[in-house]
Amino acid sequence: MKFVIQRDRLLASIQDVMKAISSRTAIPILTGMKIEAKEDGITLTGSDSDISIESFIPKEEDGIVYVEQIEPGSIVLQAKYFPEIVRKVPMNAVEIESDGQLNVTIRSGSAEFKLNGQDADEYPQLPKLHSEDSFELPADLFKNVIKETVFAVSTQETRPLLTGVNVRVQDDQLHFVATDSHRLASRQIPISAAFDFQNVVIPGKSLTELNKILDENQDPVEIRITNNQILFRTKHLYFLSRLLEGNYPDTSRLIPNESKTVLQIDTKELLRSIDRASLLAKENRNNVVKLVTQESGKLEISSNSPEVGRVVEEMSVEEISGEELRISFSAKYMMDALKVIESEQVKIEFTGAMRPFLIRPTDDEDLLQLITPVRTY
Amino acid sequence: MQSKGRAIFHVDMNSFYASVEMAFDPSLRGKPLAICGNPAERKGIVVTSSYEARKKGVRTTMPLWEARRLCPDLLVMRPNFDRYRKASSEMFKLLQEVTPIIQPVSIDEGYMDVTDCSHLGSTLEIAQTLQERILKELDLPCSIGIAPNKFLAKMASDMKKPLGITVLRKRDISSILWPLPIEEMYGVGAKTAEKMRTLGIQTIGELAHKDKYQLKRIFGVNGERLANRANGIDDRPVDPEAVHSFKSIGSSQTLPHDTTDDKELDKLLSQLSKSVEKRMQRKEAIAKGIQLMIRYHDRKTITRSMKLQHFLESADEVFQHAQTLLQKHWNGEPIRLLGVSVFDVAEKKEVGKQLDLFTYEKEAEKEGLYKAIDDLTSKFGKNPFRRVQASTSDEVRTSFQKDFLDDYKK
Repeated sequence: MKFVIQRDRLLASIQDVMKAISSRTAIPILTGMKIEAKEDGITLTGSDSDISIESFIPKEEDGIVYVEQIEPGSIVLQAKYFPEIVRKVPMNAVEIESDGQLNVTIRSGSAEFKLNGQDADEYPQLPKLHSEDSFELPADLFKNVIKETVFAVSTQETRPLLTGVNVRVQDDQLHFVATDSHRLASRQIPISAAFDFQNVVIPGKSLTELNKILDENQDPVEIRITNNQILFRTKHLYFLSRLLEGNYPDTSRLIPNESKTVLQIDTKELLRSIDRASLLAKENRNNVVKLVTQESGKLEISSNSPEVGRVVEEMSVEEISGEELRISFSAKYMMDALKVIESEQVKIEFTGAMRPFLIRPTDDEDLLQLITPVRTY
Repeated sequence: MQSKGRAIFHVDMNSFYASVEMAFDPSLRGKPLAICGNPAERKGIVVTSSYEARKKGVRTTMPLWEARRLCPDLLVMRPNFDRYRKASSEMFKLLQEVTPIIQPVSIDEGYMDVTDCSHLGSTLEIAQTLQERILKELDLPCSIGIAPNKFLAKMASDMKKPLGITVLRKRDISSILWPLPIEEMYGVGAKTAEKMRTLGIQTIGELAHKDKYQLKRIFGVNGERLANRANGIDDRPVDPEAVHSFKSIGSSQTLPHDTTDDKELDKLLSQLSKSVEKRMQRKEAIAKGIQLMIRYHDRKTITRSMKLQHFLESADEVFQHAQTLLQKHWNGEPIRLLGVSVFDVAEKKEVGKQLDLFTYEKEAEKEGLYKAIDDLTSKFGKNPFRRVQASTSDEVRTSFQKDFLDDYKK
């Protein structure tokens, strides 16, 4: 195997593929990165057996030549050293060559590295997904959906299913739901899919990594689902993740359909106010802030840490209706939810101090954030 | 920090558990009595014995069979921790009548700072009165050490037992303290003593004169601290709040036999979790971390812990996480002991409880009640209601827990 490649293009692909490579893995060869040269270009592969990523560098694209002098072949290189070497070679052209004895030479300018490779035949084959169930989303929209939901997954292994994002297709609507059982984020988008599915749970970590790799553009991402795996494919990327097994809880019943107190308020102002209140709230461990409706029609946002001090702030609201309210909640959850809402105003619907409340952008019915309050003693 | 002119008491109850049993059942008086952790099971070791038993050679931590051999007419009782806790609490109440500056350190000992109690008489008179009251009202003997600091007071209380009062002045340390062998010094364990002996330190006096820098190099900060104490220097205040700075709340228990039986282990975990819950309730505390201790049949012991995103408070939650830890870290070998503890502890009233989407309805049912309390709180300034605690009947599993030590304040 031999080829000469543009360093920056190679480095970009390496960084993507590295997202799947872990130094702690049960299969030793997976600590390496597979490099395969074919006539039409170079494919890099990384996997931790939960996530597998393939990145393709075409020989030539849009009139730019990325790879030259290709002699087909493949090799596995230690992922611990390979990326750093490529990052630090002196010239923009990098030559990578392997001989029949798995010795790899990396040359750039006057620098030459000799590395021991591993046999690519020993690298596990990535499964090819045979599934008709697929749909497409533009990359930028998909990235946004991930951002709006994935933060709400649980980081605790006690309920493994909740560490994933539930994806459903129903009545031409694609639903994404994530909850750690304290707050819930839900986004739906219209889609024309010829099939329904219910119970797909994608590990939150997979989506977080995917979001880092996908470019912010309108290129389509093809999503293909089988029983236990999901594939995301773009022009040059093949991202495979295992799915979480089990029945995701029915979350639709958790969304309240009545409300007793309704607020409409400036998103950024509320975010900043909660952020200020949480400056002291951090000290009292659960990051709790208190929201109280005032007779004047304003809101009081406060937080109290016995050892540190107290902060109170009065806020004007756009609209307020319904019963008076006194509620405490986690500042972090509130900020997490508000940060992913882009609309200028949000509508918050409360049904009581001990019940979850709904946050929605005023201009978008398809995104909702649900937060359960904190009961103070 | 004050260092001059303080008057510190160390009050040390004499063979406390045995004394409490004798106060409870006077027919036991004058007889050799041993309190044993679970006489039927393997951990049948002597926890405490009466002075009559000690005369025959019975010692704390001695296996029961050995104690019986030395003292054939030994009376053996299981511990009644409820009784001891109650007696302890009564004892600290008497201490508190002298001064509010008291620091319980365990169920049967505590420090008091009587520097500002001259209106009650001389320090010696105060100690005599206190000792008499404890003996008369609770029927319990104690020894009191009087000194200018905690370390010397602790050393002094040890010098005359039972019912001794020992004054250890700074000017007396060279004649009283320094001749003592090094292992008699409070804070020097068997390991440290052994190391000190290899350095040629046989007595407390030799430690006092040893080069501090050398000690610091070998024993770290503790070396310097011990050398200071040997010279009668100890600045630590008597801190009534020390008992509050609890860092973890836990419970552990040895199984009656080594086991690999999941059901048995789960059952024990569940018991331990309940016990942890009770102790958290007593403290009105909740915790954000959980630790599991596993001791295997060969005494190899591991502890594994995890931090949580949310506060734990119920036995169920504790059990669930303890079980997760057990499943993850148990190597499958027979287990002798399990311990469950929670750390990163906070007071409930400072934190609040994050409700759960799937279960909030249980709390929501009481919403009206909470609202009424809230309204009254804002009207009267302080929550007029307090949860009634059922804390009298709970079982105490080890004698080392300190979470009841401020009961005397109630």
